[in-house]
Amino acid sequence: MKTKSFSKTYGKRRVLELPELELPEGQITAVIGPNGSGKSTFAKVLAGIEQPDEKKPILSGVSVGYLPQKSFPFRMTTEKNILTNGTDHTRAAELMKILSIDALAKQSAKKLSGGETARMALCRILMSRYDLLILDEPTTAMDMESTLAAEQLIRETSHETDCAALLITHSISQARRIADRVLVLQRGELVEQGATEAVLSAPSKEETRRFLDFYGL
Amino acid sequence: MSTSIQKAIELILSADPELLNILSTTAKVCLTSSILALIIGVPLGILFGAERFPGRRVLLVLNRTLIGMPPVVCGLLFYMLFSGVGPFRHLKLLFTVKLMIIAQVVLITPIIIGVMETFVADTAPALRETTRGLGFGRMKEYRLLVNECLYSIFSAYLLSFARAIAEVGAVAMVGGAIAWKTNVMTTAIMMYTNRGSFTLGIALGLILLTLSLLVNVVLSLMQGRLSR
Ligand SMILES: Nc1ncnc2c1ncn2[C@@H]1O[C@H](COP(=O)(O)OP(=O)(O)O)[C@@H](O)[C@H]1O
Ligand SMILES: [Mg+2]
Repeated sequence: MKTKSFSKTYGKRRVLELPELELPEGQITAVIGPNGSGKSTFAKVLAGIEQPDEKKPILSGVSVGYLPQKSFPFRMTTEKNILTNGTDHTRAAELMKILSIDALAKQSAKKLSGGETARMALCRILMSRYDLLILDEPTTAMDMESTLAAEQLIRETSHETDCAALLITHSISQARRIADRVLVLQRGELVEQGATEAVLSAPSKEETRRFLDFYGL
Repeated sequence: MSTSIQKAIELILSADPELLNILSTTAKVCLTSSILALIIGVPLGILFGAERFPGRRVLLVLNRTLIGMPPVVCGLLFYMLFSGVGPFRHLKLLFTVKLMIIAQVVLITPIIIGVMETFVADTAPALRETTRGLGFGRMKEYRLLVNECLYSIFSAYLLSFARAIAEVGAVAMVGGAIAWKTNVMTTAIMMYTNRGSFTLGIALGLILLTLSLLVNVVLSLMQGRLSR
């Protein structure tokens, strides 16, 4: 699927300006870039949470699922939180097991730790199928074991449901592990795009090379 | 002092008919007004907290002004509207329990609106980002928002009930503190103390304090339970 070009300004500051982009179905596109480069803003505009300066949606006719960087646990148990987005109990149990929160099913979601809340939120969004699935740093609060389980889950979901997945991450190694394509943002601009290996091993711009070196690859 | 407290306790235990009448009038006025205020105030408070519309800020300033209004001013207003020279005199509501309830609703609804607005304005943006991200509709979004509000609704209710039961100004002005008719606990304390009879006043004071203690114990017990 294709997104229209757009820009986003907060007050007088233009924080994002992007050209038309292609987000292929059944593939994971990673968005990488340092803090403040506009990754979350990109996600919010795509999800329709924030309006672009053009005041028109930049996607049309597709269902969008969006997992915010900071997820909100509803005041109910972990399991019921997940079941707000679907009625398939078997699927919910399976997702909780994969992300090892099955033991917390009956616990109040408000009492979960940061990493546990992130795992609950990922289970919750994966209960429905969306044409475009946007995940804003879904594993940042998770430990390594959960991160790897979550990555595999995201991979499987994108293959099985043939959705376009947009994975926002500041981890280059994560992009390496699961992304088919990457977009690199710097100060609100797209500086690189292409197949993961091609971009990460031979960036076309000096600036990207410095960013990649800095983040230790 | 200690003998008058003893006498007051004896009066409570003897189930004095006038004391019981005052208690039942108080219960009727304060329970009715606080429940009406809840029914009006909760939806308005949630709306003010969750939505942005022109005039919202002006209404909130007005609401805060009403929260700070001295009960006796509210009483004065209703007195003027319903007394022999007021526009609503033909309704014959002055010095009735009904008008006491109406005055209290005006006095305490703003408290409920204020408590709900503060909580919802804090909670709604994060909740909404999540519900819209999941693709939920407006109805479901509001259901989940109300579900977050349970403890606020509860504490707003108790706060408004406490204000209703403790205030004198409004109920004294519009009710007239008529024995066996519109006398409530606070007005009775004033009336009996003025007559130099302390026993009933102390008995009522003790009951009021105990009630306030109870309300606060229940509040702190429910805080943990309802915010989970
Ligand atoms: N609501 C907002 N109002 C003003 N500035 C904002 C707002 N949201 C984000 N910004 C600014 O936009 C820039 C990009 O933010 P963000 O997209 O969150 O970056 P990232 O997710 O890449 O760390 C930052 O400089 C941030 O301060
Ligand atoms: Mg971000």
